[in-house]
Amino acid sequence: MQKNGLLGQLIQSLCCLPGVGPKTAQRMAFQLLQHNRNGARLLAETLLRAIDEIGYCRECRTLTEDSLCGICADNSRDSSLICIVENPADVWIIDQAAVFKGRYFVLHGRLSPLDGIGPDELGLDILEQRLATGSVNELILATSSTVEGEATAYFIGELAGKYHVQASRIAHGVPMGGELEFIDSGTLSHAFNGRKQI
Amino acid sequence: MTETAVYLQPAFILQHRKYRETSLIIDVLTRDFGRLSLVAKGVKKSKSKTAGVLQPFIPLLISYLGKAELKTLTDVEIAQPLMQLRGLAFYCGFYVNELISRFLHKYDPHPEVFADYHECLSRLSIGSDIEAALRIFELNLMDHIGYGLQLEYDVNGASINPSKHYAFNVRHGFVEAADGYFSGKVLLAIKSRAFTDPLVLSEAKMLMRTVIDTHLQGKPLKSRTVINKISSTLKNE
Repeated sequence: MQKNGLLGQLIQSLCCLPGVGPKTAQRMAFQLLQHNRNGARLLAETLLRAIDEIGYCRECRTLTEDSLCGICADNSRDSSLICIVENPADVWIIDQAAVFKGRYFVLHGRLSPLDGIGPDELGLDILEQRLATGSVNELILATSSTVEGEATAYFIGELAGKYHVQASRIAHGVPMGGELEFIDSGTLSHAFNGRKQI
Repeated sequence: MTETAVYLQPAFILQHRKYRETSLIIDVLTRDFGRLSLVAKGVKKSKSKTAGVLQPFIPLLISYLGKAELKTLTDVEIAQPLMQLRGLAFYCGFYVNELISRFLHKYDPHPEVFADYHECLSRLSIGSDIEAALRIFELNLMDHIGYGLQLEYDVNGASINPSKHYAFNVRHGFVEAADGYFSGKVLLAIKSRAFTDPLVLSEAKMLMRTVIDTHLQGKPLKSRTVINKISSTLKNE
């Protein structure tokens, strides 16, 4: 494989994508150069525009090219209900499930004392300002079910309590269609602790 | 290096970080082999059964094998029911994990630190005497790794007098001084790990902070900064 030169540089650059190793990068580079130069140009131009223009929404910190994202600008959504998620990708997933009709707030990470990530790094001061205005009735904490996710949820829960805003955590436990036989003991004990009256 | 295989070793996870798409590199504290890193392959796949178990603060039994420095996790079981850390205790758990990561060298077995760690987590999970639990763990940790404090005698070898005051120097020890920060009574209470008095707790906190910061040689503990920030945000009403 040619390591130097522009071709080598292109292959190397493609390797920065998740799930793309040298072999796949090589295939992509040859495909673009041999068979789809127009596609490559479009990709390059879109990529450049996206990098320059896409920033954070000023309300919810999700990725958008406008100052206010589509969800925050949509007046039919309930602005007193906020769902807290770790990544912009989570916004898409929850929105696709179409169960939630409120607004979002993206943390871009989670509280991780061991990595030095505290409330400021997560933009929680912005959230706090919003809670202080009194326009929010409920927070739904959809952070992941890891220790850091729990730590984050707990902190935001306390913050909500300070401003007398109701906060709830999404449920974890037995998945739909899951049989108990195949569930790990950690999840099962969580499911027992969070049992619901029927 | 020959292949090592370890079965059902009592362990706690101190920290984990992502490795490739679906794997994790975990830092564990084992009872008999000290602190080490393992790669847990494929645990982040959607059908993985171990992802829910591979979390800090859960007493685990782990099996691993490998030839190189980074060994591969083969099996993990929960040794005991979960200890629920709540609130501030939760963040303090991270602090304790960071202390262990910073003070214990890799592959240096300290079964007594492991036992103290387990004990400390149980106290934290009860949540009533967080400060005392942390101070006891810190004092014991320093003792076990050779930075133990001489709390019974001053630098000159004289017994600590409960009615006198002492100044503290990390390199040498306690020196009798009329304007010293630590009272002899408190030092003896710390020695016997009696942390019921709030005064003892606050002086012990100052003492341990000085000792720990000196041994860390100016590299701050990340979790301490974050915990301070968290508690100050939650307090100012």
